[in-house]
Amino acid sequence: MSTFRQPSVLPGFSLTFGFTTLFLSTIVLIPLAALVLMTASMHWSEFVRIVLSPRALGSYRLSFGASMLAAFINLVFGFIIAWTLVRYEFPGRKLIDALIDMPFALPTAVSGIALTTVFAENGWIGSYLHPLGIKVAYTWIGVTVALTLIGLPFAVRSVQPALLEVQRDLEDAAETLGAGWLYVFRRIILPTVLPALLTGFTLAFARAVGEYGSVIFIAGNLPMKTEITPLLIVIHLEEFDYKGAAALGFVMLVISFVVLLTINLLQAWGRRRIVAVSR
Amino acid sequence: MSITLDQVTKRYQGVPVVNDVSLDIGDGEFFVLLGPSGSGKSTLLRAIAGLAGVDHGRISLHGRDVTHVAARERGVGLVFQNYALFRHMTVADNIEFALRVRRMRAADRRRRRQELLRLVALEGMDERLPAQLSGGQQQRVAVARALAHKPEVLLLDEPFGALDAKIREELRRTIRQVQRELGITTVLVTHDQEEAFALADRIGVMNLGRLLELGRPHELYTRPATRFVATFLGAANLILARQSKNGIRFGQTPVEASASLPSPFHADREHEVVAVVRPEEIEIAPTRERLTSNYLTRGAVDELLFTGALERIRIRIDESADGAALSSDGSGSALLEATRTQHEQRAFRIRPGEQVVIGVRRVHILPTPLSSFTACASTEGLAQALLREPLLSELALRMKTRISARVEPRLGMPGAGAEGRSNFAGTTVIASHADAVFHVQWLLERGAEEILILPQHASAPQRVLIHWADQSLRRATLAVSASILRHLSAEAVYVDILPEQTPMAQRPHGMRALLDARSEAQALHGLEIRTELRFGEASSELARHLAESAGQMLILGIQETAGLAARFGSLLSSAAWPMLIVHRQHESALAEVTS
Repeated sequence: MSTFRQPSVLPGFSLTFGFTTLFLSTIVLIPLAALVLMTASMHWSEFVRIVLSPRALGSYRLSFGASMLAAFINLVFGFIIAWTLVRYEFPGRKLIDALIDMPFALPTAVSGIALTTVFAENGWIGSYLHPLGIKVAYTWIGVTVALTLIGLPFAVRSVQPALLEVQRDLEDAAETLGAGWLYVFRRIILPTVLPALLTGFTLAFARAVGEYGSVIFIAGNLPMKTEITPLLIVIHLEEFDYKGAAALGFVMLVISFVVLLTINLLQAWGRRRIVAVSR
Repeated sequence: MSITLDQVTKRYQGVPVVNDVSLDIGDGEFFVLLGPSGSGKSTLLRAIAGLAGVDHGRISLHGRDVTHVAARERGVGLVFQNYALFRHMTVADNIEFALRVRRMRAADRRRRRQELLRLVALEGMDERLPAQLSGGQQQRVAVARALAHKPEVLLLDEPFGALDAKIREELRRTIRQVQRELGITTVLVTHDQEEAFALADRIGVMNLGRLLELGRPHELYTRPATRFVATFLGAANLILARQSKNGIRFGQTPVEASASLPSPFHADREHEVVAVVRPEEIEIAPTRERLTSNYLTRGAVDELLFTGALERIRIRIDESADGAALSSDGSGSALLEATRTQHEQRAFRIRPGEQVVIGVRRVHILPTPLSSFTACASTEGLAQALLREPLLSELALRMKTRISARVEPRLGMPGAGAEGRSNFAGTTVIASHADAVFHVQWLLERGAEEILILPQHASAPQRVLIHWADQSLRRATLAVSASILRHLSAEAVYVDILPEQTPMAQRPHGMRALLDARSEAQALHGLEIRTELRFGEASSELARHLAESAGQMLILGIQETAGLAARFGSLLSSAAWPMLIVHRQHESALAEVTS
């Protein structure tokens, strides 16, 4: 233990470390272990049947695909919003800044219903999109819209502090050295905020994968088409098929873990390159 | 000329932060812009770099007008106070940044990089990241990076600000060396006068957005033209003195000290002037007989401070002693600052509280026509109220001069015999009044030369209109205007007014007057003024102009006192704006009086 012991302002390393372990165990590790145990008690063929059923496969595709897409949209627009909030002074800036957090506070079911109303064929926005042949509510597009909404604050809030750190002087310096706007963005701004962007992406993605409440209202929940994995789990539970639910949960756990780990490793690699050894 | 600035003005929310700056910087010159924070020096540097646009004026680099050229096409190198290195790039990548942008070949880039690293003495540091370098090293990298694309101009914005004293000096030497080796035109911005002295070929001192004075370090130090430069470049005692053709006197004590006499005054009268005495020019002795220089006054040692090579002394002047020097440091307390070398300390040891005799070795007289302020009113109460006027106390504070009150019960009363062209020295201040014109006349008859008429609660003006009733007043009025404008962040407009029925053939004369005014203000005082030509009757035209927008002030040069009421009566009696009357008599009229 003494190998990773570091002096710190908090007293009692063993106490704090013990507390960390206990806390993590109660809240995270034990419930997850229960999930794994439950899955382990299944027969292999049964596990495969449930997990690889066409309906399950369709739900993975929608859940992870829409979450990826939503996280990506948030990455782009979250950056633009954060940039606007950090760089410009305009009336109502504080208000918009506060609005960003609204999806955090709103019960997800409420946002789901609101989105459905707006994007339905006769809704405010849906009625304009419908003539163009774009159907949002009750399709995968609707799912993506809902997941984008709930993930937005994560993207904005992760990028904001990083953007604050990009000093104007750096851009000015690059400009006097002859760099154009795009070059400055690509070579100076992006590398500096990239770790934060990845964090925002990860958080938005993770949140989207686990989202349930807002999606079920707008999705329409057609098996194979607009049914997300969490909903499929709930359906299994309602049929008292606890093992089936656990199996699907386990698959989600593994896929999420792999994705998050990949992004984290990517980030650690990036950070090593950027910060390196500080004095 | 490498860098030419022509009437450059930059405003933030209407307030000029760079105010009509014109400047020529020669090829290979090391120019230092010196000023306190907020003086506009950094903004001016950013304007030269192209990072801040200008609202008015032109900027040329090597004869090419770059006013509207983007920063990246100006060919300048800029070094920032906080280094502004790209932290995710190695030293090599940082230095090669400008070369990569220009798509230079890798081999050429490497060669140039090696060259630059040698120049700033950082060989072998190529692969380090900025975070692995000390502050001094980082700034060296920043200098190398700024020079990579062979800019024609190097701009340094407080480059030593974040470094400690030892490193600072080392880097200072490096930068001076690099600058000499490359012969590159360099502009450095700083608030540190020592730094400016150590580096500059020439220094430009800025305050309140204006370029006050320009010159070689030694010139500026020994012969400053303004209070601000005198006190900002090293320590200075500003002392009110009287100057006439017979010399200078402090109180009753005549001083024959070698004083340069760049007099903007009439030689035949005694004037109140502002004398600059550097702390090292003050001599301290136990008795008057032991002084080797001119006797100034006596005083008591107030504070002694040992600072290594020099001893700093504050002396409280005994104002009742004969020949009392009048301190003018604004706070009203009569304290003189002096410094002594070790050698002098050994010759005469002093302790706090000790009575000493003070002499001066060298006195420099500022060519400013504004010395002190005297608030004049008919009762004590009114005079005291005038003293508390915000604009007046603000001006006195900025000019580091003193205000005194003076009660004249018969102020403005006619016929009360003008007993002698007495003792109104400096600027006399009176309150706005319906009868102000009679007050002015009364004061002028008693020798006052500058009279400030203050409305109640007037705030600092944003625009100062200048007008003189006769071309012979141009010199005096401009000198006074320049002197007061140095302490205000206001723009100056000279207004010439021709009679309505001026025939077209004569109008070019009006234009000539405008050009003359502009070039004299620029040449003699370094003051940039705008000019306007109007037609009509002077008094009402001025009143109309002043009423156009709030925050204006008038400086009016007049010559005759006789027709004053008829000519400017209504204007002077208005209580809406501050007015400064500059009165100079015709040379012949003055000769008559003195004879």
